[in-house]
Amino acid sequence: MRSGIFTVSSGDETLRLTISAEGDVRVEPGQTSLRVATAGPDTYRVTDGRCSWMVTVAGDGDERQAFVDGEVFTLDARAGEATPRRSKAHAELLAAPMPAKVTGILVEPGDTVSRGDLLITLEAMKMELPLHAPRDGTVASISCQVGELVQPGVRLLELSS
Amino acid sequence: MFDRLLIANRGEIALRIIRACRELGVASVAVYSAADAGAPHVSAADAAEPVGSAGPGGYLDVGAIVDAAKRSGAAAVHPGYGFLAENPLFPAACSDAGLTFIGPTAEAIERMGSKVEARRHAVAAGLPVVPGETPEQDAASMKEAAARLGYPLLVKATAGGGGKGMRVVRTPGALPAALNAARHEAEAAFGDGTLYLEHLLDRPRHVEVQVLGDAHGGAIHLFERDCSVQRRHQKVVEESPSPALSPALRDRMGAAAAALARHIGYRSAGTVEFLLEGSGEEARFYFLEMNTRLQVEHPVTEAVLGVDLVQAQLRIAAGEPLPWRQEDLRQRGHAIECRIYAEDPESSFLPQAGMLRVYREPRAPGIRVDSGVVEGGEVSVHYDPLLAKLIACAETREGARRRAVAALRQYAVLGIKTNIPFLVRVLEHEAFREGTIDTGFLDGPGAALAAPAPPDAARLRAAAAAVAAHAPGRGTAATASAATAYDPWTALGNWGRTLTKAR
Repeated sequence: MRSGIFTVSSGDETLRLTISAEGDVRVEPGQTSLRVATAGPDTYRVTDGRCSWMVTVAGDGDERQAFVDGEVFTLDARAGEATPRRSKAHAELLAAPMPAKVTGILVEPGDTVSRGDLLITLEAMKMELPLHAPRDGTVASISCQVGELVQPGVRLLELSS
Repeated sequence: MFDRLLIANRGEIALRIIRACRELGVASVAVYSAADAGAPHVSAADAAEPVGSAGPGGYLDVGAIVDAAKRSGAAAVHPGYGFLAENPLFPAACSDAGLTFIGPTAEAIERMGSKVEARRHAVAAGLPVVPGETPEQDAASMKEAAARLGYPLLVKATAGGGGKGMRVVRTPGALPAALNAARHEAEAAFGDGTLYLEHLLDRPRHVEVQVLGDAHGGAIHLFERDCSVQRRHQKVVEESPSPALSPALRDRMGAAAAALARHIGYRSAGTVEFLLEGSGEEARFYFLEMNTRLQVEHPVTEAVLGVDLVQAQLRIAAGEPLPWRQEDLRQRGHAIECRIYAEDPESSFLPQAGMLRVYREPRAPGIRVDSGVVEGGEVSVHYDPLLAKLIACAETREGARRRAVAALRQYAVLGIKTNIPFLVRVLEHEAFREGTIDTGFLDGPGAALAAPAPPDAARLRAAAAAVAAHAPGRGTAATASAATAYDPWTALGNWGRTLTKAR
């Protein structure tokens, strides 16, 4: 287990944690006191004295995932007080989740889109896979063509705010 | 009973069948594609045969699988579900090669595989059917047929299944586009673009009845499963008993399903699917289709009846009569199955691929998990994204629901996204608690369940404390070698093989 000062951020929320060698945790803002202890491989028991949570963690860099009570959190955890990078929410890349064929592009660069708007349709495994806007924004660029076979993780469209 | 059986499938269903073989003292032979050489179903089986390169090809290759069965000395072949389970060429090829096919006859698969013929047999057996027809396939005839049936209506592929090639049409103007899309999908998925038009029921529930027939003309039903919790015609949660059936209706539906099985001389396990309109004494049911195979959701029936359907299939294929009389079977308690998919509900439920860095199944009284993956394993894009099924059973529906939610909340999966958080939201929704969900719920009023609720502040802080404290490398199991150490079949060593030899 690590101890020291950490900055953990999730979306817009940033927390500052101080963890002692014994596992006493101070969380700010909110002045919450918690206690953390190893409970198994990748698993920690966290308690505030009234409730406890079993948290399973994956990830070895700054970006880590935590499973708690059926919910998954993706968190950026850095040692020290360093201000976290500008939230990724400001420029978002849309990528294919699996090898797929681009079957339709429904927007153009410069278009203003709302959360949930259909941007691109893909086809993989005989299924149509729609890519929707994850939030409101403007289409900054499109880097694919209809008919193109695209690999997972490769940028198809960039959305700016 | 057979000495040796080949399982023409992968994933959780292959492991399920291997378990039944082990209990019956039958040696099991797995088949695997190049991508699956290290897969759990391969290590679990007594022996394994390669059937081709990565991708679904090998599992769909009748010739390669029959060759593998002969090479391995297997006397019988179990197809599982999907892949070759409903391809009539497969049982025919098995029988030509002197292998016993665990399932119905090729004729039964063929009859029930065509929606039109299935419907004809259902009518002949006295089952109610939804008004519908297969017109001439030109645009004008389709349009006329649609006008006769009235809108809204459903376009279906006659060769279809699993929601592929299916479209809802609400207005005449939307018909041509829907026909084109459905025909395109049907041709791609089944190689047959013939379409069928059907009256669309008002908020129907999907209630299906498990049947079992033997080679001596015996046929019984094993009560119902309610699979109304669907997303784009894909089942998500299944349960038994159905909260929508009165005892009298349950009896009538069971009798109807058994009558159809008897009428077509059905052998092995099958499922007669019905749509149910209305509820209680007012409800009406209509024959939808018959699935001539073991279903994904068969554990729900096993849980409430205390039976083993795969073992029953093996016994029937070996020539034994039905293991139970109708009057011996009683539903006891309630069971709910949740399908655990590698998919991202927040991105239109896109299938996910990658490594399962953390994969920890819950264990608790009344919880069964049928899975085909292990921690450290890769989820490939080549196959169905179903990772596992969690089945909760308890004395009451509410007890089973709470048990399923508690187990899902302990089902830690990290590395790839799954629908576990979504399943918790579905089971906690008022409509599910009350048992009033119809097949349109998740695509309509329940569509918002795909998005997560704002995170709970206390839970977020607990997560933050754990991720900050986490020192990777120590006690981390997310490597392939560590995952192998957790695999009970690997830990078992040669024991399985010794057992087979000693038998």
